[in-house]
Amino acid sequence: MSGRRTVAIFRRVVQEIRRDRRSVALLFVVPIVMTGLVTFIVREGQAPEVDAVVVNDAGPVGIVVTNALDTALATEGGSATIVADTAAAEAMIGDGTATVAITLPAGLGGGDSPTITILTDGLDPAGEANQVAAVGRALVTAAAGATGANPPTIEHTTLYGVPSDDPMAPFAPAILGFLAYFFVYILTGISFLRERTGGTLERLMATPVARGEVVAGYTLGFGLFATIQVALLLAWGLGTVEVPEIGPLPAFSLGLGLPIAGSPLLAFLVVVVAALGAVSLGIFLSTFARTELQVVQFIPIVIVPQFLLSGVLFPVSSLPDVLQPFVLIMPLTYAVDGLRQVIVAGADLATPALQLDLVVLAGVAILFAAVAALTIRRDVA
Amino acid sequence: MEPAAAPSAASVNGAGPAIRADDLVKVFGAIRAIDDVSLELPSGRIYGFLGPNGSGKTTLIRLLTGLARPTSGRAEVLGVPLPSREVLARIGYMTQSDGIYPTLTVGENARFFAAAYGVRGKEAIREALELVDLADRLDSIAGTLSGGQRRRLSLACAIVHRPPLLFLDEPTVGIDPLLRVEFWAHFRELADAGATIVVSSHVMDEADRCDELLFIRSGKVIARGSGREVRAQAGTDDLEQAFLRLGGDVGATR
Repeated sequence: MSGRRTVAIFRRVVQEIRRDRRSVALLFVVPIVMTGLVTFIVREGQAPEVDAVVVNDAGPVGIVVTNALDTALATEGGSATIVADTAAAEAMIGDGTATVAITLPAGLGGGDSPTITILTDGLDPAGEANQVAAVGRALVTAAAGATGANPPTIEHTTLYGVPSDDPMAPFAPAILGFLAYFFVYILTGISFLRERTGGTLERLMATPVARGEVVAGYTLGFGLFATIQVALLLAWGLGTVEVPEIGPLPAFSLGLGLPIAGSPLLAFLVVVVAALGAVSLGIFLSTFARTELQVVQFIPIVIVPQFLLSGVLFPVSSLPDVLQPFVLIMPLTYAVDGLRQVIVAGADLATPALQLDLVVLAGVAILFAAVAALTIRRDVA
Repeated sequence: MEPAAAPSAASVNGAGPAIRADDLVKVFGAIRAIDDVSLELPSGRIYGFLGPNGSGKTTLIRLLTGLARPTSGRAEVLGVPLPSREVLARIGYMTQSDGIYPTLTVGENARFFAAAYGVRGKEAIREALELVDLADRLDSIAGTLSGGQRRRLSLACAIVHRPPLLFLDEPTVGIDPLLRVEFWAHFRELADAGATIVVSSHVMDEADRCDELLFIRSGKVIARGSGREVRAQAGTDDLEQAFLRLGGDVGATR
């Protein structure tokens, strides 16, 4: 053990890292930004804006309660309005004009503790839990003030499926979308970087191959693997195969058997379109990397914000207002929402929300492919 | 080489030069990597771009293939103004690094570049691999080949489309003397079949194998002529001495 040699190595390591601005940024800037972002989201996470529709079976008392509720919700920019019947309320939840529907029972204002039902669409379980909690608090105060009776009990139901049927169900769409996106990005980024640094891209550019052909070829190649990956992932997540008893092996079932309301093929389509966008993203970002480490260094910058802001971890509706524009520019937001539409709400191709998700995802894929093509001839050395 | 391949291109372009450059300048930041180069290189000969590392040989080749855009000036090869994607089908470019896919086999590499150049059929691939003596290694993974074999595969990938114009950027760096002799025999064979070949090198003892030499220093062509001519011009028998004497004034201004 030589102290001088150790010091020499120590000095070299420090010099290397100091010269590598990405590593410095990764070490010092990114963690500060990330913890700041998470703290901001959690701490400043806003009381959700709730637009409630009320089905009033409670008569005049219900009107008083609704008015009190309206005043309470207005502080966060929401409202409460009375609609004719349950069918009208459900329709408004379904098309997104209202976030919750409240049914005030006939016994409200009587001696018993009444049960008030709150209906949400069930697409964003975590976000809706916040909304229901907010409405619940307001309702209890409003009902107590209006009737002086015992505080009501709140019961939460959803339009699509039972809220806590399978504890994994709320996470499944987000996790499926995220994993597919993440792995395709990493693989494409690294393999295109090899093309750039291995001298083969220079060589390829000396042939009549067009840049668009390179991007298209890559998209097809990685698209194929992404497709297989997504198919496997969906089959594993959504399917259940009962394997019968074979010899000494007992019968067992394979697959996670997560509930899906819509067509698995449609879920497949959403993830594949998102993954194609990740292919071009990988090609594009490999322009700014010289080594494989640097591709990995982009993860906290490109992937983690998407993880935080696209509704994978935190419900989009609870994110602070300042971050909402960023939510809208994250491709993963649309992948997660599209998957929720299909898996939870059973959306089909005629559903406007799903159409929007698919159009945005396809647009992002095309945009990044074009930008990726532009980066190819530049700086090939 | 099929005799028909190379001359056909030459006949299309008549007697015009294979390469023509007018006042080419390439600036990287504050450095003039190529400093006002004008050239006219008739076809069917082997040209040697000679100069030390960093003198601008690779940049000049990249400008002459259209891979790099000149800051000013213009170039045309085989009668086509650059940049032109179409003319790339008639240019071969063996880069300084091997530029082959290490996880693919010899055959897969050759097939890929043949397809990229728009070559159909197995005949051309077999010929190119035979020329570099790799026809029997078709199924070897390129990454497991020796350095010399990888260099040979790299050459095969550059000539698989039988280009009438071939750029070889330091093709003999890091290979043993025996292979170097073989390479030069290949180059001569291709030139005899009508191809124009540009070889860059910083090894002066390769110079006499070229028909014509261009001394490149600090981005300028400082001398041009056959080995005998430049020796006479510099008044020395030693090419290295000739290079130093002819480049003396350029070096002084740096």
